Amino acid sequence: MPTDSGQATYLEAVGLALDSEMDRDPDVFIIGEDVGQFGGAFKVTKGFLEKFGPRRVVDTPIAETGFTGLAAGAALVGLRPVVEFQFADFISCAFDPIVNVLARHHWRTGDPMPVTMRAPFGGRLRAGPTHSQSVESYFAHVPGIKIVMPGTPEDAAGLLVSAIRDNNPTLYLENKYLYRRLRASGPLSLEPIPLGVAKVVREGRDVSLITYSAGVSQGLEIAEELDKDGISVEVVDVRTLVPLDVETIVNSVRKTSRAVVLHEAAKRLGYGAEIAATIQEEAFWHLDQPVVRIGAKNTPTPTSPPLEDAVIPQPAQIAETLRKVARA
Amino acid sequence: MPTRSRRKAAEPAGAPVGPPVAERDPALLKRIHEVMVLTRAVEDRMVAMYKGGDLLGSLYTGHWHEAISVGAASTLRQDDYLAPIHRDLGAHLWRGMEPWQVMASFMGKATSPTGGRDGTLHYGRLDLNVYNLPSHIPANFPVATGMAFAAKYREQDRVCLAFCGDGSTSRADFHESLTMASVLKLPNVFVIENNQFAYSTPLRMQSNSETFAMKAVAYGIPGVTVDGTDALAVHDAVAAAVARARAGEGPSIVEGVTMRMHGHAEHDPADYVPKEMYDEWSTKDPVQLFENVLIEAGVLDADSAKQVREDARQAAIAARRKALADPMPDPSGIEDGVYAD
Repeated sequence: MPTDSGQATYLEAVGLALDSEMDRDPDVFIIGEDVGQFGGAFKVTKGFLEKFGPRRVVDTPIAETGFTGLAAGAALVGLRPVVEFQFADFISCAFDPIVNVLARHHWRTGDPMPVTMRAPFGGRLRAGPTHSQSVESYFAHVPGIKIVMPGTPEDAAGLLVSAIRDNNPTLYLENKYLYRRLRASGPLSLEPIPLGVAKVVREGRDVSLITYSAGVSQGLEIAEELDKDGISVEVVDVRTLVPLDVETIVNSVRKTSRAVVLHEAAKRLGYGAEIAATIQEEAFWHLDQPVVRIGAKNTPTPTSPPLEDAVIPQPAQIAETLRKVARA
Repeated sequence: MPTRSRRKAAEPAGAPVGPPVAERDPALLKRIHEVMVLTRAVEDRMVAMYKGGDLLGSLYTGHWHEAISVGAASTLRQDDYLAPIHRDLGAHLWRGMEPWQVMASFMGKATSPTGGRDGTLHYGRLDLNVYNLPSHIPANFPVATGMAFAAKYREQDRVCLAFCGDGSTSRADFHESLTMASVLKLPNVFVIENNQFAYSTPLRMQSNSETFAMKAVAYGIPGVTVDGTDALAVHDAVAAAVARARAGEGPSIVEGVTMRMHGHAEHDPADYVPKEMYDEWSTKDPVQLFENVLIEAGVLDADSAKQVREDARQAAIAARRKALADPMPDPSGIEDGVYAD
């Protein structure tokens, strides 16, 4: 079982939150491929089978439609399933139960569907076109699903606690590049962090960087660099795409009058398009510059390092864009 | 039992395996009969409503499915879970669904179980432990495994009975659910309503298996094919499967063979169905056959059977009157409830 070392990794934070919610609520169970005896492909649930037993830590056949639909049925009659997709790329196999069963059931009937769906996503691990995808936009278009994308171990823990306690189908996307690269700065709080509340993680004057997931730590590093050149970047961590905290984003842009939106997903119809459109609807007259989006090129994610780096936004490109927008 | 060429080597479609009719609980037999007759009366009334323009869109009926839906549902306790499809009005009525509510659903009325947000066949009520499925009929099975999983998780002896059609068996949902339910030994009963056609697609284009029940072999579970026009044959086979599920021995498949006597829905003239098939199956009306069985066994007499039909006809007329008079929904709160609190 994960124990809090006082500097938990992003991955350990996910495990600690899961463990704590399973301790707290006997209706919470974990279901997915290789989650039990193997402890999960990334070892998030290592030790869970021994602690909670096979009733609550359920290894399944390779059947994403099957176990997602199973989770829906179990939630319908009062359990709180936490589904693990081994890779977010495999979530397409469960598109139907997510979109047609989970997402619209409450609106149709008034019966809640409290299912948390965890999925490791994203690139930079040289894992190629079908092991590196960012899937948030597929689901952000569907009414009825909440989407949570933590960028820090602290948020990974607190937002997962909230997702599990939430009465809606919630897609909780873990950036697998961050799993062992980010550490908490102290003992983790396992108190819930409310969904739908963005966070200004760095105050600044010249330009707002609106981002989420890995973009947060990446953005903070770049902001420090730009600070040396006298460019003051405000970094806003959106944290949950649905519900979206429009107020925090708009307040930041009203202050800086410039906005860059960053994510690892493809730029075309990526969630940044929604954020950029919202900013122009809500804060157009405060803007000194057009809102700029940074996202991946509109290609599948390549495997080989020089190819992948050419597709996914790189720090130099992000810094250059911020510099340009701030000084224009 | 009408046959089809592909089924020649199959096990004969099962007859009732329980005690003789005269030795069975007459109250249960009469109730099954009444609900079957009511199902037919409501659907016949709704066909007239469809033709008269009372309904919004199309109408999905279950003529010749009454023995399967009521025969199967009548094996359950009220606390068991049920996941019916669009041919199973009888299962809903067995559970206590009001006919006017079904009509209200096909009319988009505020009083339908979804308040007009969903419509047509999507009227299942969780307060009756009935799942309200989407238009993706095969999605029924994965959800049914979840309700069964919850019963097992809580160490309750509830089961979940789910229906699908012959067409659904081709979907991944079917295979994954049967795989999951058998591996996890879930208390499920899967009833396949083989009515010869999935919309326009006949059996020979749907599956190369000789029966649908034989698919059970691949999952290591029991599978049986029964005469889907014989309410007691269905009841007995499903009762055995329910007992097995309740005892913790895992899922089963029961295939009921019948015929879809109307189009996929009422807009569909179904001219792809050979006329001889209708002729052949028209002699196998499940409602009439069951009435004959009960009269022969002395459970009903001709007069009381006639009274049951008249009561059902009056109930359907009254249901239509109420549904027609009910209000349409108010759109002002349409964005409410996308998310639960």
